[in-house]
Amino acid sequence: MKVMIDGKKYDAEYGEYILNVARRNAVNIPALCHSDALPGQGNCRMCIVEIVDKGRKSIVASCAYPITGEIEIVTNSERIYRIRKTIVRLLSASAPDNEYINRLRKEYDIPPETRFKVDRDGKCILCGLCVRACDEIGVSAISTVNRGTTKRVSTPFDEPSTVCIGCGACAYICPTGTIEVNEDEGRRVIWNKTFELLKCSECGEYFITREQYEYIKKRYDLADTNELLCDKCKKKGIGDKLTNVLHNVIPVQK
Amino acid sequence: MNIFKRKVKKTVLVCCGTGCLANNSFEIYKGLKKKIEDLAVNVKVRPVVKATGCNGLCEKGPIVTILPDDVFYCGVKVTDVDEIVENTVLNNKVIERLLYFDSAKGKKVRSHKQSEFYRKQLKIALRNIGQIDPGNIDDYIERGGYSALRKVLFKMSPKGVISEVERSGLRGRGGAGFPAGLKWRQCAEMDNFPKYVVCNGDEGDPGAFMDRSIMEGDPHSILEGILIGAYAVGSEKGFIYIRDEYSLAIKNMTKAIEKAAERGFLGQNIMGKGFSFDIEIVRGGGAFVCGESTALMASIEGRVGEPRIKYIHSTEKGLWGQPTVLNNVETWANIPVIINKGAGWFSRIGSKGSRGTKVFSLVGKVRNTGLIEVPMGITLREIIFDIGGGIIGSGKFKAVQTGGPSGGCIPESLLGLGVDFDSLNEVGAMMGSGGMIVMDENTCMVEVARYYLKFLSEESCGKCIPCREGIKRMLEILEDMCTGKGREEDIELLLEISETVKEASLCGLGKTAPNPVITTIKYFRDEYLAHIKDRRCPAGICRELTVYYIDRDVCRGCGLCRKGCPTEAISGEIGSRFTIDTSKCIKCGSCKEICRLNAVKVLGGAAE
Ligand SMILES: Cc1cc2nc3c(=O)[nH]c(=O)nc-3n(C[C@H](O)[C@H](O)[C@H](O)COP(=O)(O)O)c2cc1C
Ligand code: SF4
Ligand code: SF4
Ligand code: SF4
Ligand code: FES
Ligand code: FES
Repeated sequence: MKVMIDGKKYDAEYGEYILNVARRNAVNIPALCHSDALPGQGNCRMCIVEIVDKGRKSIVASCAYPITGEIEIVTNSERIYRIRKTIVRLLSASAPDNEYINRLRKEYDIPPETRFKVDRDGKCILCGLCVRACDEIGVSAISTVNRGTTKRVSTPFDEPSTVCIGCGACAYICPTGTIEVNEDEGRRVIWNKTFELLKCSECGEYFITREQYEYIKKRYDLADTNELLCDKCKKKGIGDKLTNVLHNVIPVQK
Repeated sequence: MNIFKRKVKKTVLVCCGTGCLANNSFEIYKGLKKKIEDLAVNVKVRPVVKATGCNGLCEKGPIVTILPDDVFYCGVKVTDVDEIVENTVLNNKVIERLLYFDSAKGKKVRSHKQSEFYRKQLKIALRNIGQIDPGNIDDYIERGGYSALRKVLFKMSPKGVISEVERSGLRGRGGAGFPAGLKWRQCAEMDNFPKYVVCNGDEGDPGAFMDRSIMEGDPHSILEGILIGAYAVGSEKGFIYIRDEYSLAIKNMTKAIEKAAERGFLGQNIMGKGFSFDIEIVRGGGAFVCGESTALMASIEGRVGEPRIKYIHSTEKGLWGQPTVLNNVETWANIPVIINKGAGWFSRIGSKGSRGTKVFSLVGKVRNTGLIEVPMGITLREIIFDIGGGIIGSGKFKAVQTGGPSGGCIPESLLGLGVDFDSLNEVGAMMGSGGMIVMDENTCMVEVARYYLKFLSEESCGKCIPCREGIKRMLEILEDMCTGKGREEDIELLLEISETVKEASLCGLGKTAPNPVITTIKYFRDEYLAHIKDRRCPAGICRELTVYYIDRDVCRGCGLCRKGCPTEAISGEIGSRFTIDTSKCIKCGSCKEICRLNAVKVLGGAAE
């Protein structure tokens, strides 16, 4: 079917999200909580657009609005810009020191915040991608806790998680770089838990935690193998499987 | 005075709703029952004593009604029991002292149906409440209960039921006012089974108790409505979601389900017509946002009660991804009446876009507070001044807040507004679930906005940015204003954030959260300006923005105020004038309360 985006006609499949159609056609819509692998969250609301559906106007989140009819879409009206700008301002008041948000703030021409009390330690924008990624891997080690302004992402009771496999997918997908991963001398620390790293049997570089290795073996029902290959040395073998698991979750972006 | 007809069996109704129970009405019920049983030998007709649901006048409770003469007693105490039985039940004598005082008429009335409070009301959803014992299914059946279900099963096709509900014009009573019939049709058209029906009894608005009253006082009317809806859309399984604090509602609903099953109104092959249906009660954790339809369904499924995007209707993908109809308690309770009396009858009540009646909980600074049910389109003035009996005390009306925490404040100039879904939206307020709070001139509108935003900031689930961050910052600005730190450009900033929160939030909570701010700015901008520019709170509520002083012309120098002041801010010689040292005054108001001559004034505050 056809949809009209900013006055131009484009093809769209039934049920396809507006954002996907726009991106395919190089129409730029900002999106903070969207990942092609984990679509349809609708938390950040940066991707809002105006639509006219059977004469009815409304504002919707393009990342989660499925196209089911011939609608008209406006992605960049003055009103939409104003609302996005306010969202960025709100974010930057809560996370003024975050690079990613600062970049956005400048992009929207917003001066540094002076009206509100700023939180110096705020970084996370609660986009929810990390939680979704971890769920998707099948681990569900982290979740949001509390509600309203005290909401945050954490492990149960803020203790080192018993199920986390230290894969780092959460940190990788996080747009704001909130989740800390520290690596040195064969150890990785994430979410307050320390993991032992294993080496690639080809190039000898550390690349995977033991828990992650065990998890993948179990999940893909792989026989015990001594072969361990990192991404770079990808050949047939477990390294490839690993890439698959992660790439199901983490699209090649950034 | 013998106003009683002879030889009619008497019924004594004792209100056992939550409000009256709290004032000992169960003891009164037991007392009346025992007294009558003890006397039974001497009485020809033995009166029946029944415990009923809330009469809607909780504040005047406990309430006892004697039928068929409709003698209405309020504020009854356990010690009144003997007198009621001996005088009124046995000897047909009315006890003046216990009668209801109708402030509009300025006199006591025998039956509260003669009062202004009752006269302008029309009871559909509340039709049985206060008249029947909710624990007794026969009481319900005696008043026509389950006849609508029978009619539907024996005489109507599912399509016929849906078109009846569509023609009635019934709109959902839970807030948004979505046409009930259309929702049912959408669900009926899906050929994906199983389908579910859900009753929303979460009622998260603080102070609201309309749904609770129906669940407590007339649970079968809800069940019957749900059964009819289930038959219409082709569902065999339903859920009633009730907040956990509503223990009496849960108890009465549970009992009603048991009794209905015993009588064959629930279960397999109902009335032999091949329709089967079961229903389950789910207790809700009590977060305000859990009343939102998608959050409620997530909660029933056992997930975190957070809203999700609903560009796909629940009627297509609801509970466990299956077609689902979710309606509010009051919506369901209307259904049996619509089926029995017909869409034509129903649609003649109310206003053009909003047919039928609406239940409101009328509270705040009005004389008569309580639950009322009125035809839609009735004016705010009629509700507040006729039914509500006007403003309590000597104060003047200032605003009425409708629609729960994210509703709006409506000023005096709009008192002529006919209340319905659309008219309330037009003035920036909303119907919500039917909360109505009347405010007098001693209310600070900036503080009101701050109060609601505070509530909403605590209840926002925090999932989407505009709602979580927007409400937080609006609250910050309002708190600044109330403490004298407001800035000139703050009003515009509030409106700017309001737009974003309203337009961009994910669920209804965020989309409506700015209403208290927008409406108070729209109708009471002067008060905002006084807070910001003059650092003054005209209503004398915001502590930092008031100054206490002693009026020299009134003070006689008795010195009482000095004794009452905890910070020794008051000085003076007995017999001469006293003064307050504003640098020491903490504005506790003790002096003002103590002074018998009203010499202590609040600058920035309203006139006494
Ligand atoms: C934050 C929020 C809270 C809500 N709380 C309730 C509630 O307590 N009870 C209710 O019936 N509807 C509530 N609603 C409305 C429901 O989402 C839904 O529209 C309604 O239950 C549908 O039933 P109806 O069509 O019969 O009104 C709430 C909506 C929002 C956004
Ligand atoms: S490291 Fe992997 S398993 Fe642990 S929380 Fe992050 S995504 Fe989940
Ligand atoms: S930690 Fe990162 S990915 Fe997770 S919610 Fe916060 S911003 Fe999003
Ligand atoms: S609008 Fe508020 S309550 Fe609703 S999803 Fe967003 S954060 Fe949660
Ligand atoms: S990208 Fe659509 S809401 Fe975040
Ligand atoms: S509980 Fe008795 S009148 Fe409300």
